[in-house]
Amino acid sequence: MENVMELANSTGLWIFALLVAGIVVFQAITFIRLATKTSASVGMTPDEVRAAIRTGAISSLGPSLAIVFVVISFMTLIGDPISLMRIGIIGSAAIETVGASLGSEAAGAGLGSENFTGQAFTNAVWVMCLGGIGWMLFVALFTKSLGKIQHKAAAKNKNVNALKAVSTAAMIGAFSYLGGREMVKGFSESIVLVAAFIVMPIIMWISHKLNWAWLREWSLGLVIIVGIAVGYFIS
Amino acid sequence: MNMSIPAGRNQVSESTIDTRETSEETILDFETFHTKSHFWGRLTIWSVITLTLMVPLYLSFVLGFHPGWSAILSGFAAYASIIAIVWVVEPISYYPVLGVSGTYLAFLTGNIGNMCLPCASVAQSVVGAEPGTKKGEITSTLAMAAASFVNIMIILFVILGGSYLLSLLPASITDSFRFVLPAIFGGVIAQFAIQKPSWGAIGIAFGLFVNIGPIPRAFQTFLCVLGTIVVCMLLQKMKEQKDKA
Repeated sequence: MENVMELANSTGLWIFALLVAGIVVFQAITFIRLATKTSASVGMTPDEVRAAIRTGAISSLGPSLAIVFVVISFMTLIGDPISLMRIGIIGSAAIETVGASLGSEAAGAGLGSENFTGQAFTNAVWVMCLGGIGWMLFVALFTKSLGKIQHKAAAKNKNVNALKAVSTAAMIGAFSYLGGREMVKGFSESIVLVAAFIVMPIIMWISHKLNWAWLREWSLGLVIIVGIAVGYFIS
Repeated sequence: MNMSIPAGRNQVSESTIDTRETSEETILDFETFHTKSHFWGRLTIWSVITLTLMVPLYLSFVLGFHPGWSAILSGFAAYASIIAIVWVVEPISYYPVLGVSGTYLAFLTGNIGNMCLPCASVAQSVVGAEPGTKKGEITSTLAMAAASFVNIMIILFVILGGSYLLSLLPASITDSFRFVLPAIFGGVIAQFAIQKPSWGAIGIAFGLFVNIGPIPRAFQTFLCVLGTIVVCMLLQKMKEQKDKA
């Protein structure tokens, strides 16, 4: 087990992991630059551009903090660089855990168990990496055709309105699914979800009433703090 | 993040040019934005695909810990039988919300449901842009890119040494961090339900149904998103006909 951790934290793996993290950073900066340059042609003011970037950055703090705990628990199982690679890109923690444990078990050792060998670690990495490529391959190959379908539909004004409605409905569907998955986890999760569901409109209402635009940017963070507090007291 | 912000359409842009930029700095139209997004999106994703393949190859054949192809295949087959359909279903289901640039961003950085989508929708509501519009796509791109940047920086910081600080927190508090997700989802669903209460109700009904009902895990996301879209569209059609009558 200790030798495996030496392998899992070896310099070679660090280089790969830092390269991957570097590409994620590069991509984020590239897209901010592209979108900023495009903003004027879709009628966005420089202030709105800054507000969008700021809101994204602030709103990601809560989720990132939640991911931090996943990363920490992952580090003890699979080492630092692979945790950086797997949680830093694509995967959701749940799916990566599935990949890692299926991989190491196929090599005959439970993830993090006493008989976890270098081979089992390598097999876990194989399964996680091959698995994660599935999404990226589909996105790299087919996003362009998805874009053409949308482009065709957007050619007519009536279609634009339909597209907007479909997008909103899709968003509601996606979040309801994810929310439902949390609710079936347990009573406490359900209470927290309902509390957040009630607190969010109150925050929006206060921000609207007092004309505090900044409060909207912090809304998700505040809802998360309320959620953690409620969860802390009822469980 | 010291970005240069282009001025209004008809203004001479030289006054706002950052020192780092030459006179090539121009305002992009939306078409060019998509073309460039495809180029950079694909380039970055293919690079990461290559790197992620090199990591297990390096462990197997450079360091000599090859577990054997049959072990790799049997592990991968078990994983793929659960997840494979999601590879296709997720990009298609999320595409109407994410748009071109958002798809490249979100599927590289991950954490789509718990980070990218909430950040995008909060930013859209701050700026006052509707999802599915050009302004909406630029807004969500800016927000998700900023979120992706902050996220990877935090993860890097934690892994490079801050982790022990967090381990000092009492377990009762760290336990409560599992409530972050239900809080996010409850809040974001509410945000939509204020605008369209009936659609919110439909979504919640589908969300509970696919999670409680006997639906295989792999189809749940797809069924919930598709079902919500179909029922909401039918509802809207019925309303329009009623208005006409």
